[in-house]
Parts: sequence; C-alpha cells; structure tokens
Amino acid sequence: MEPVLSVRGLTVTFGSFTAVEDVSFDIHAGQTLAVVGESGSGKSVTALSIMRLVELGTRGKIERGEILFRAPDGEMIDLVQQPEGEMRAIRGNQISMIFQEPLTSLNPVYSVGDQVAEAVILHQGLDKEAANERVLEMFRLVRIPEAEKRMVQFPHEMSGGMRQRVMIAMALSCDPKVLIADEPTTALDVTIQAQILGLMRDLREQTGAAVLIITHDMGVVAEVADDVVVMNRANVVERGPVTQIFEAATEPYTRALLASVPRLGSMAGRDEPAPFDLVEYQP
Amino acid sequence: MSPLVEVRDLCKQFPVGAGATVYAVEGVSLEVGRGETLAVVGESGCGKSTLAHTMIRLHDPTSGQVVLDGVDISTLGNRALREHRRKMQIIFQDPFASLDPRRPVGRAVAEPLLIHGMAKGDEVDEKVADLFVKVGLEADMMRQYPHQFSGGQRQRVCIARALATNPQLVIADEAVSALDVSIQAQVINLMMGLQADLGLSYLFISHDLAVVERMSHRVAVMYLGQIVELGPRRAIFENPQHSYTQRLLDAVPIADPRARRDRPLLTDEIPSPVWPAGTSPERVVMREVAPGHLVADEG
Repeated sequence: MEPVLSVRGLTVTFGSFTAVEDVSFDIHAGQTLAVVGESGSGKSVTALSIMRLVELGTRGKIERGEILFRAPDGEMIDLVQQPEGEMRAIRGNQISMIFQEPLTSLNPVYSVGDQVAEAVILHQGLDKEAANERVLEMFRLVRIPEAEKRMVQFPHEMSGGMRQRVMIAMALSCDPKVLIADEPTTALDVTIQAQILGLMRDLREQTGAAVLIITHDMGVVAEVADDVVVMNRANVVERGPVTQIFEAATEPYTRALLASVPRLGSMAGRDEPAPFDLVEYQP
Repeated sequence: MSPLVEVRDLCKQFPVGAGATVYAVEGVSLEVGRGETLAVVGESGCGKSTLAHTMIRLHDPTSGQVVLDGVDISTLGNRALREHRRKMQIIFQDPFASLDPRRPVGRAVAEPLLIHGMAKGDEVDEKVADLFVKVGLEADMMRQYPHQFSGGQRQRVCIARALATNPQLVIADEAVSALDVSIQAQVINLMMGLQADLGLSYLFISHDLAVVERMSHRVAVMYLGQIVELGPRRAIFENPQHSYTQRLLDAVPIADPRARRDRPLLTDEIPSPVWPAGTSPERVVMREVAPGHLVADEG
C-alpha cells in the first residue's frame, strides 16, 4: 500500500548543530507510527519539520531530504518544496498536530467552541452556524460530556484531560489524513492518559487517519503503535513492527533503553525492592 | 524498634477565598520505618506533595502530629526545629530550579554543612568532595556551575546536598520524574545503593507506579487528601483492594505490546478538593484486611 506520508533522508540543522540526520520513515492510513527517543534525540524536530514549523521562529533549516505527502487528489507532493501559502492550507487541514500541553495551545480569551469553529470556518469554508454544528459533532466524537455546555467554556474552566480532548477535536475537525501527536499524554495523569490513549485508538479506527505519535514513554508505544522508529542523537537507530522492537531489538541502544524502562508487574513475587539490571551502552 | 517517623491524623487545609477550603491533606496517619522506603502515590492534586511538605514543616500543619525519632516536630518553633531539620532532607523534581545558577554546585552542597555547623575550613571541601564521590560524580565537578551539568548529574548534586547533614529521612518529591528513562534508572539504582549503605529511610512521592513497584517496601495510595489504601508493596500491586488503587493500576501503560488491553472510553475525572464554606469531606474509615494492609471502606 502507498504511504500517506513518506519522510526520506530528512536532515535538519540549527546553525552548526544537526538535530535530525538522514531520517526516513513511512506512515500508512489507519496505522500508528511511534517515534520514540529520549530528550534531544530529534523526535520533536522531526514532527515540526513535517509541519514545516521548524523554520518558523526557531531558525531551523531543512538541509536535505523529502517529505512526500499524498494530497487528497492522490498526487504526492514534497512538503519541503511547498511555499508558506500552500503549507497554510495543509496545516490543521490535511495534516494536523496536537502538543503536550493543551493549555499553551489554546487561546485563554476565546471559548473552546469558538477556537475549534475557527479551524473549520477557515479550512472548510463553513458559515458560523454550520461550524458550530461541526464543533458539537467533534466534541461528541471525542466524548466531551455535556458538549453543548462545554463549547462556551474557556480553557481555564476545563481540566487538562478535557483540554486535550478539545485539542484532539480541533485537530480532527477537518478530517486530516495525518495526525501528529507530540507527547499528547505526557502532561496528563495516568487515569486520564489511559482515557486519551483509548480515545486515540478508537478515533484512528473511525477516521482512518494515519497517526504519528512522538513519545519518550515505551509504555505508550506498546499501547498504541503498529510500527516504531527509535531515535538517538538525531539518527534513526532501529525501526520495525512494535512486537519486534520490544521482543527482538537488535541495536544496543534500543536494548539499553528497554532495560531501563520500569515495567509494572516486573517485581511480582519478590518481597524486596530491586535495582534495575542496566545494560551498558557506549555511544 | 520504633519507626523513624510517625504521622498521626495530619491535616493541612488552605483557604481559597469566599470561605472555601482546600482539604489538601485530611486525617493522614502513617509510619516510615528505619531503612524503609514508603512510597506515596496518587494523581495531581491528591495531596501527596503537601503531605511531604507538611511532614518536614515546609508547611505548618492545620492539626495532627509528626513524630520524628521520638520528638513531635509539628509544633516546634523555628529555633528548636533547626536541629531536627538536619535529620530530614528533601529532593525535588526539577534539579535546575533547586540550584542557584550563579554559584558553583559545590557551594550548594556545602551550605547545609555550614548552616548546621558540621564542618569548617578545609574540612568543608573535603566533605563536599566525599559527597560528590558518594553520588557518582567526580570531586572536581564541585567547582562547576549548574548549566554545565546534565539533568541526571544535577539531580545527583541535589542528592549529595540532601545527604550532607547525614539525614535519617530523605523525601524524594517526584525526584526522578523529569529525567530521561535511562538516567532515571541510574538515579533510582543510586538511591537504592545509598539506602543500603547509609540505612536511609525514603518517603518516595511519585505518580509513576512502575517506578514505585521497583523501589518501595510499602505503598500508600492517596485520593482527595486521604489515604485509601496502605500496605506492603506486594499487597498493593498483587492484591489491590480499593477500587481507586485498582483503577490506577489498570491505567498504567504496560511496556509490552502483547499485554495491550482494551481501554474503556471513560470520561470521569477526579472531583475537586475545594469545599465551599460550611462543608467538609467525609473521613474514610480504614480496615485491616491482612497484617499491615489497610483499606478504606467503600460505601
């Protein structure tokens, strides 16, 4: 099957520093690809490059590579070559993104309903009334209780979990082909994280969007990913189906990373606490 | 032998205007044994950090007692409290925020030694050097500044500072939560090694149940300011009795793709700990279901 998005040989620099080096991967419709890595591995810069946000404000530069996106008309276009005007029509419409901290992504002085409506008015050309209908539909899709009441609330009146639901509703409001989620549950409590992960799995099936999830959390990877790309120091160190990465990782870095992941249930049957059996990794 | 710390019916309330009150910690009783790690787990706003801060008098309790090594420190004045503060130290989540960016990190580690009159002159540098080695840093690093360290190294500096006064109780308030997972594992191993060498007691505040399962002897589960389950680690993880403990454990993502579970599409959230004027939370009643395993009755 043709991928929806194909990143090929992506290299991104900030001045003399190379944040992403020769990174390649494909994402398919209805599939979830997890890019996992520790701080500074380049995973978020990869996501921002796809949205072409890395060049805005942060002085990043896409040095080499292609980001091929299959447009709704079936044609593959290279996002790296698109002018800003074209990207504006793609961002939030055909490719959308959610971030770690929903509170900083929402405008504090507009109601959450108006903010989601803005996206559909802009991209889908709906009038205010039709847009509000769409917002209500989206709020119900992401299971915001009492959706009509919630639409007129402001971000500060909502919990972190509800705000992230609003962000997901906004991201999905224009039926994107690709949803990029950069640490979408990292700031959430564990019971709320479980709800949002369940929701994301459910929505992927309902919408058929390709999902690219950026995370540091191997537990989250195991929960949602079909395929995994492991990044370290700007490079892809290993890739493969999720079960292969967890059960038969071949790269020393991946093995060292997995050895340091605390796993619930790993201490069953043992009375005393025990240190991690760490695997030495020398870069 | 008596436990190192006994907390009895501790309460901490904060007024939040219009007569409303946050019942952050409500009637908490627990003990921390010598050389033991007691983990306190729960979600944002459950009161776990307020409990820790109140135990070491960073907050004054609204009511209740904290008995440290046989002395009730909950009502001591500042001067009397100082000699007891030496016995209890705290490590926070963000080591960068806990260190002065304009002073070499060695000065941060020396400060408690000077305040408590535990070293003077050349002795100070010697002791600081020892502490650096103890936490896996090189002694020369004491002359460097916080920005020259990685996050894991900075947290090691904070651990060295906490150990400077030879404390008996170290409170770790989400002390490994901000670290990358490989660094987190190293710092946890360091903390466990120090416990074995020095006989430290840890009060380990954490939202991360997988980490807690690794390193604790006993676990207290907090919900809305109260402990709802308390017991040996194995009892909590292998035989959780309270519905909230069960929910919390079910929610933890398991790092094994074959253990993937269906997630119920729930939307329920934790209620607010803010109580309007004239109202207050109902106290839970704890029942012992097995030796040392206490569970709150659920109506």
